[in-house]
Amino acid sequence: MSKTMALRVFGLNLVKTNRSLLQNACKATALPAGQTVAEASYATEVTVHASPAAIQKQKVSKAMKAYLKRATEHDEFMKTQHLEFQIGKRHLANMMGADAETFTQEDIDEAISYLFPSGLYDPKARPAMKTPEEVFPARKAAEFDETGRPFHSMFYTGKPNFFQLLHEIVEETNKLYELEERMLRRGIKPDENQKLEIAGFQVLPKDQLETQLVESIADIEYTNFSNSMDRLIASPYAYKSKAFIERYLKPLMDQSKQLEVPKPKIDEQGRQYITTYECLRKTARADVTVRMPGTGKISINGQDVSYFEDENSREQLLFPLNYSELLGKVDVEANVEGGGPSGQSGAIRWGIAMCLRSFVDQEMIESMRLAGLLTRDYRRRERKKFGQEGARRKYTWKKR
Amino acid sequence: MKMFRKHLGNLSRVSTQLQRNVVQLSTNAEASPIEETAAASVNEFRTAVANPGEHSALHVAKFYTIPVEQKKQIFTGGGLPKQYEQQIKTFTEPCLMVRSPALELLHYIKNADLTKPVVRYVLYGDNGVGKTLTMAHVLHYGAINDFLLVHVPWAPNWMKRPKEASNASQEGMLDLPFDAAAWLVHFKTQNAKLLQQLQLKTNKEYVWSKRESTPAGSSLIELVEHGIARIKYATDTTVALISELKQLSTAGQCKIMVAIDGFNAFFHPETRIFSDNKQRVTPDRITLTQPFLDITNYDWTNGVCILSVDKIAMTEGYMDSYMPRYLLGTQGFEHIDPFVPIHVENYTDKEFHSYINYYLDRHWINKTPQGFEEQLKFMSNKNPYTLMQLVKAL
Amino acid sequence: MAVFYRIAIQSSIYGCRSMSMFPKHFGDPLRKKDMEDLNKSELTKFYHIPIKAALNNHSDTVFSDEIKLKMMNYITKNGNKALARGLLSRTFEIIKRAQTERLHLSPTDKQNVNTNAEKLLIEAVENSRPLLQLTSIKRGGVNYQVPVPITKKRSYFLAMKWLLDAAFEKDKKVCLPERLAWEILDAAHGQGRVIKKKDDVHKQCESNRAYAHYRWS
Repeated sequence: MSKTMALRVFGLNLVKTNRSLLQNACKATALPAGQTVAEASYATEVTVHASPAAIQKQKVSKAMKAYLKRATEHDEFMKTQHLEFQIGKRHLANMMGADAETFTQEDIDEAISYLFPSGLYDPKARPAMKTPEEVFPARKAAEFDETGRPFHSMFYTGKPNFFQLLHEIVEETNKLYELEERMLRRGIKPDENQKLEIAGFQVLPKDQLETQLVESIADIEYTNFSNSMDRLIASPYAYKSKAFIERYLKPLMDQSKQLEVPKPKIDEQGRQYITTYECLRKTARADVTVRMPGTGKISINGQDVSYFEDENSREQLLFPLNYSELLGKVDVEANVEGGGPSGQSGAIRWGIAMCLRSFVDQEMIESMRLAGLLTRDYRRRERKKFGQEGARRKYTWKKR
Repeated sequence: MKMFRKHLGNLSRVSTQLQRNVVQLSTNAEASPIEETAAASVNEFRTAVANPGEHSALHVAKFYTIPVEQKKQIFTGGGLPKQYEQQIKTFTEPCLMVRSPALELLHYIKNADLTKPVVRYVLYGDNGVGKTLTMAHVLHYGAINDFLLVHVPWAPNWMKRPKEASNASQEGMLDLPFDAAAWLVHFKTQNAKLLQQLQLKTNKEYVWSKRESTPAGSSLIELVEHGIARIKYATDTTVALISELKQLSTAGQCKIMVAIDGFNAFFHPETRIFSDNKQRVTPDRITLTQPFLDITNYDWTNGVCILSVDKIAMTEGYMDSYMPRYLLGTQGFEHIDPFVPIHVENYTDKEFHSYINYYLDRHWINKTPQGFEEQLKFMSNKNPYTLMQLVKAL
Repeated sequence: MAVFYRIAIQSSIYGCRSMSMFPKHFGDPLRKKDMEDLNKSELTKFYHIPIKAALNNHSDTVFSDEIKLKMMNYITKNGNKALARGLLSRTFEIIKRAQTERLHLSPTDKQNVNTNAEKLLIEAVENSRPLLQLTSIKRGGVNYQVPVPITKKRSYFLAMKWLLDAAFEKDKKVCLPERLAWEILDAAHGQGRVIKKKDDVHKQCESNRAYAHYRWS
């Protein structure tokens, strides 16, 4: 990302210094027809269209020259990288005793982690081997012709692709508005069955949008993008431009299906039981076992509920049992250590809720999730910072 | 399953409503108490039998009402926990639940041979489990059945928060004159009627000072009243009174029911009373302990002794267990050995349900979503005191 | 809708999150009651949102209630929530004691006596909710007291705060629960200091309504 940024700045500088030159070039030569056609909307590949006009060496601007030089350098660099990658892959395949032709990226990763085991914490810092395309991000193709005249009308915004996108969204929206008006006049209502379902989707996150546009955008710009997408999606005829919208949506994961519900085991008395280990909350840690046909007995470290003296903690234990309507139908055993009553009860609450999933239906699991019972509360005490009174609070400001 | 639960919930709600209606009807009818009692007996959690002597296993987990005058007679000087008194005030009826430990105790007392030396019954159990109320139930029985009540509502009061301590006539002993006088007043209110009836006389002359004395053959009421009037001699009067009572009952002139709540306070390693040299005093150096230890001996007949041992009677560091052996210590255990232990436990399911119904009837529980009873059961662990605390805010 | 954009925005700064709080794209937990109110399609929106863990003083049982929780938070001082809970339940007890005793002593007006302390609290808060508020706005060098409408949330906050303030103001010898209980009972019956305060505020707003236009100009 930083690379593209630098490039852009560099490009801009170039543009600035050569402004007079560019203007001259604009005046001097009208572009031959058919040259601008080659330009794609978002060109992400470094391809140089050498044109017959380039032969007139006098007219080629300095910016173009510099760009051409850079482009050829880059191309060559990428070519050598490709070559090296192929050789490396071949070596790896040989070492692993596999066929080099069918050696996939997955095999490479496996081989690397086997041959160069690393104890580094951050996965990004560990040794890896990837295709050069992945390692070196794509760069923009030439945005101006050899005379230095930009192809794109929004070139001087600095982010032509992004603003082009905004433009397209608005165009699309206006189209839909017009359609709506026409339909209203005709008295036709939008088709309910075709209504766009976006419940499982989210608008493309900022980083993904940036890679797609090959431009870095500011937060406020991203907000503008998402707001205009919002407007587009909110239109009753949004399904008409489904293809366009879907380019900028990303599917979301179904939360309740992410965790697999374990199957209960059978104990010696023939009862179903399930144990959740490592129920953590604050500094408390608990193991919770829930047995299915039960009488509502609960034992915490061998004691009954009176283990917790305060009402609040007891209420916490009651919460999942009552919520899942299994109060008085299951037995609970828990071992807790560490932490205070609040942390301990929180840990047991989570443990009970996780165990109970095995004894209720999918709908109830989802309901429990929405009630916040199945989320691990990993919040910890925030550390105090130096120069501050606490984690967030600052010392009282005194002028002198 | 869910359907079934819902159905059940509805049913129970209907039943409580029915009960409410019954009560309303009865209160509307007002004037005729017979009807009221008849209506009350219909309730599944009430019984019209107000005489503890007639309570049997049939009445377990049911509420009976103590007549107001009797409540006044027995419990004005204490004997019911403060919060229970409050509850009685808000519910405008003194009600007690018939529970199995009380029934067990009553059964023993009814079948006891009073000519034999006294039997000591020890109530024990966890905090807030109903020891004092069990004792109150038995006290009611005693008051009705012509027992002279020697009742100490809460012995630790003397050791923990005495009104005033002064040096006694005996060397190294401390007096609690105000507490002793208060106890005498309590004794008088509890037994005034009976004392009048029995016309008990003192056996020997008591000389308090050069001018004051109580001659032999004067009535016990005079003795008590003297103690109340002359607070300085209240402790001595108590000692005299209790030894007199022992003699009288052994002679067969009266029966005595001794009830001491928090008995283990008498054997606590130390009290909160300071002697002249600013040191904590042990309970045996308090003059007031002597008579009550004396009357819990088994050297007299024609009486019963009900003691309760309680964790709360101890101070911090001595509250690990509620078992009598731990709470009384070696000395105390030997003092009352042999005794009949009676374990008071948390509510049974039936008692719990009945109590919830009672609360609903008294409009004390206003939030009744489905399954609230189960939730209360879980939270309170069926402990009476905890239940009371929980229900407060509902 | 807005939820999705929030997610999208947040996920971009997802990388560095503090372990003392949930990332912002986590949704708030729902109560069973809320879930019943929502229809199916509204619920499906939540399927893809991770939900925060339920707070450790909140539970869907008889003992927990929204207004109770709010009130508890307002009473709390120095983070001593257990004490606040005790004070509030004691307050409820006192309210109930007074009402129940009245009910039993005069069975004739059974319908008129409300023994439900929670309902009474809600009633008291509803009764003492202000509609308008005075804010000082500077125009031409002069501060004007301008009546301004307030949001629902703030009106609830003010009502509860006034109740508490009134309770704190009273005689210090009496414990807070008792003072608060009487304040709540008064407000529930449409009298007492808090109601008066509300009326005062309304009256002032009424008399200052000539300045109302300063809110825009």
